Amino acid sequence: MSGAAVIALSPFQVGLATLLIGIVVAISILQALRLERDLLVASVRAVAQLYLVGLILAAVFSAAHWYWIILILLVMMGVATQATVARLERPVPGQYGIAAIALGASTAFTLVYVLGVVVRVQPWYTPQYIIPIAGMILGNAMTSAALAGDRLQSDLRTRASEVEAMLALGFSGREAVQPMVRAALRAAMIPTVSGMMTVGLVQLPGMMTGQILAGSSPLLAIKYQVMIVFTLAAATALASLLFVWLAASRYLTPAHQLRRYLL
Amino acid sequence: MAPQVRARPEPFPSEADRNSSEVRLQTAALFEVNRLSVVYPRTRGQGPIPVLDDVSFSLARGSSLTLVGSSGSGKSTLLRCLNRLEEPTHGTVRFNGCDVRSIDPRELRQRAALVMQTPVLFDGTIRDNLRLRPVAHRADPSETRLADALAEVGLSSDFLDRRAETLSVGEKQRVTIARALLTDPDALLLDEPTSALDPPNVALVTEAILRLRQTRALTIVAVTHQTDLVRKLGGHLLYLVRGRVHAYTCMDGVDPSALGDTRLQAFLAGELTSRLEAYEK
Repeated sequence: MSGAAVIALSPFQVGLATLLIGIVVAISILQALRLERDLLVASVRAVAQLYLVGLILAAVFSAAHWYWIILILLVMMGVATQATVARLERPVPGQYGIAAIALGASTAFTLVYVLGVVVRVQPWYTPQYIIPIAGMILGNAMTSAALAGDRLQSDLRTRASEVEAMLALGFSGREAVQPMVRAALRAAMIPTVSGMMTVGLVQLPGMMTGQILAGSSPLLAIKYQVMIVFTLAAATALASLLFVWLAASRYLTPAHQLRRYLL
Repeated sequence: MAPQVRARPEPFPSEADRNSSEVRLQTAALFEVNRLSVVYPRTRGQGPIPVLDDVSFSLARGSSLTLVGSSGSGKSTLLRCLNRLEEPTHGTVRFNGCDVRSIDPRELRQRAALVMQTPVLFDGTIRDNLRLRPVAHRADPSETRLADALAEVGLSSDFLDRRAETLSVGEKQRVTIARALLTDPDALLLDEPTSALDPPNVALVTEAILRLRQTRALTIVAVTHQTDLVRKLGGHLLYLVRGRVHAYTCMDGVDPSALGDTRLQAFLAGELTSRLEAYEK
């Protein structure tokens, strides 16, 4: 890596950045948006949360024991599971288990591949790599799993008679819900695909921006970004597939019946 | 408490009977429902909901049964128990002498074909819809068979190339009946087959059902509010009130006024369902 070191920010300089929030507050007051209170709370939370995370990460980075990393990853998983469930418009039966399996398996697989096979980080728990990459994977997997789950549920509800018409013709439960599974997966994966279409054209992805700011050459940053884009695509596809499969099986019985009362 | 009426199986020798050398007790009944209860499980914010309570009847092969009752009386649920789209909480359903739980549900549903209130056709042509079969059973029906199936419900073979969405509801319903016939089922289960239709189409669909009953010797179980269909179908009539059998009676050659049950008489006299519901209160 080459390039200038990052300019350190003094607390005073960070304070200058807070002035920008003043613009938002001013707009809120002038336009009677009544967002001032929320803005204040959100600003304080943003500062506090980021500092807290920064402190934890600093501690972990300096300790760099594998068990600390595992613990952090588990906490991230727990928060992501909770957030996935919270994003569902209606509860899915067994939603915590389903979300945990979908996020856990998709993140574990892509993380192991990207760190072990692609980047070949030594040791694997080097926090500088594993924590930000796991965070990006989980964040994307979470969004797409919730999107897929919502879509599956609303489709099963509005198209229940289609499912039962298929069942009545002698199709298996899996076959009968396949159209809804497909629609849910498409809905969850389209944002990823269209994101890949425009990546870099409108705005630079956050990680690339960070790397460039931190002094990496843009060409190296691009290589990392390409890797991340593909990793996230795989993770979102896996997470939504697992979520939709597991959720769909909750609505079916072994006797190929649709459990309509759950919808 | 509603009287527990039980029909005796009618002697009606079927092929299964004649060929039977099995130890298993063979009856002429195609469907035997024994002390069936359905309770929908507790879901968020709701306690368990009883839908059917201790329903028993049996239905001979080749005969017909009409399920009547106000909405919410459990008649559709009862019908859906017959092809196991619904799982009984207690009691048994036997099909052709076998407990339905011992039959692959996919097989059962091809032998006891269900036609729903609102016809469901999938994207594509009528031919695509008629050929829609699980992979395991994809003995693709010939063009002649498809045309014959359409003819049985009074539609010409020109319909084969029509796109599903261009059909009227009445035509769609007849296509779903034709689709159900293509597995050569033993029984046709009809869930309010005419209630989504306008009067001319009601007549056409009713006519198609009656014709089928004669030509195919099908066992027919129909949920319906149409007194005309009840009368023309004949056979037995089972009247459900809040999930229980209120009356079970044979309609053949019986003058409705001699049935001795005021609610049933009212129903058969063609009174509106709302009046019927008022009686039940």
